[in-house]
Amino acid sequence: MDFPFAREAISKLFSKPSCNMYPAVPSEAAPNYRGRIVYHPDKCINCGMCERVCAGGAISRTIEKLDEGDRITMTFNLGSCTFCGHCAGFCSRSAIELTQDYHMIATREEDLLVSGSFIKAAPKKPAPKPGAPAAAPAAEAPACGAEAPAAEISPRDDGKPVNDPSKCVYCTLCAKKCPAGALTVDRAAKTWTLDEDKCVGCGTCAESCPKNAIII
Amino acid sequence: MFKKLIEESTGRSPWLFHINAGSCNGCDIELVSVLTPRYDAERLGFKLTGTPRHADIVVVTGPVTKQSLPRVLSAISQVPEPRCIVTMGSCPQSGNVFKGSYSVAGPLSKYVHVDVDVAGCAPKPEAVIDGLALAAKILKEKRGQM
Repeated sequence: MDFPFAREAISKLFSKPSCNMYPAVPSEAAPNYRGRIVYHPDKCINCGMCERVCAGGAISRTIEKLDEGDRITMTFNLGSCTFCGHCAGFCSRSAIELTQDYHMIATREEDLLVSGSFIKAAPKKPAPKPGAPAAAPAAEAPACGAEAPAAEISPRDDGKPVNDPSKCVYCTLCAKKCPAGALTVDRAAKTWTLDEDKCVGCGTCAESCPKNAIII
Repeated sequence: MFKKLIEESTGRSPWLFHINAGSCNGCDIELVSVLTPRYDAERLGFKLTGTPRHADIVVVTGPVTKQSLPRVLSAISQVPEPRCIVTMGSCPQSGNVFKGSYSVAGPLSKYVHVDVDVAGCAPKPEAVIDGLALAAKILKEKRGQM
């Protein structure tokens, strides 16, 4: 009788098991693991980009009118999330974070919702604009392409974009990318118009501009 | 006396039945890794069974497609009470990226009562073990009520 693996079998009988003893020994997720979403409402500017890029439709936004402004509530449904990280990647203010926490177990669906809310103050209509009196109107003026050799464009104080008509080719990319729909670009008339009430100052237009014509 | 012994043993070793309801195979692979030697859920008593009639816990993966819905419901209806239904991954809970598709009939909670949701896409094996442990606890409570 020959037992070719007898020695191996006997030595394995007395060795430690090779499995991860998970519930007894806690285990950490790998670095850069995309787990539970943490939302920072204090950083959010309500641009809505995360909602637009979410493949699973896990992000919903409710806007409630209050006296002091709009109460904006963002809700992330982890039960509908793909954990692709697009929302965090596209967020211009790093208000969304995917943590290494993987313990997402619930007996009710409400337990899988992550939400946060903040109050966005209503824009003050009659407030005078003290900063950038020269650059801003030039950028907003309809036929700004005509005055190409204009003076150096300086950024505005309120964090909203300014277009440099000497660089702009009116490709309309910024208008397509704008999550708030605040930009109107007319290729034929060569105009670049900003709706200041709609603009949230996220900077997506400046990032998307292939000619770096937008300053923020 | 034997009844008590059987009850205690079944409480310690709930058997799993896995239903793939149109899953992308990600969650299925993770469930297999839970049961194979690396994570070895069998050391905690969770054993995969081939038939729903022997099962205590049903693990459903996938967004529950129209084709699979009658099969899922017939398989679940064959699981004896008390049973515990666990959804694994985002798909059976909401449809995930497949929601709104012409062929998706989910989410699963429209048809049966779901006891435990394990979120993730796909969930880590550790999270699956936690979900199964919670399911075993719920199962014990259900047995006590019977």
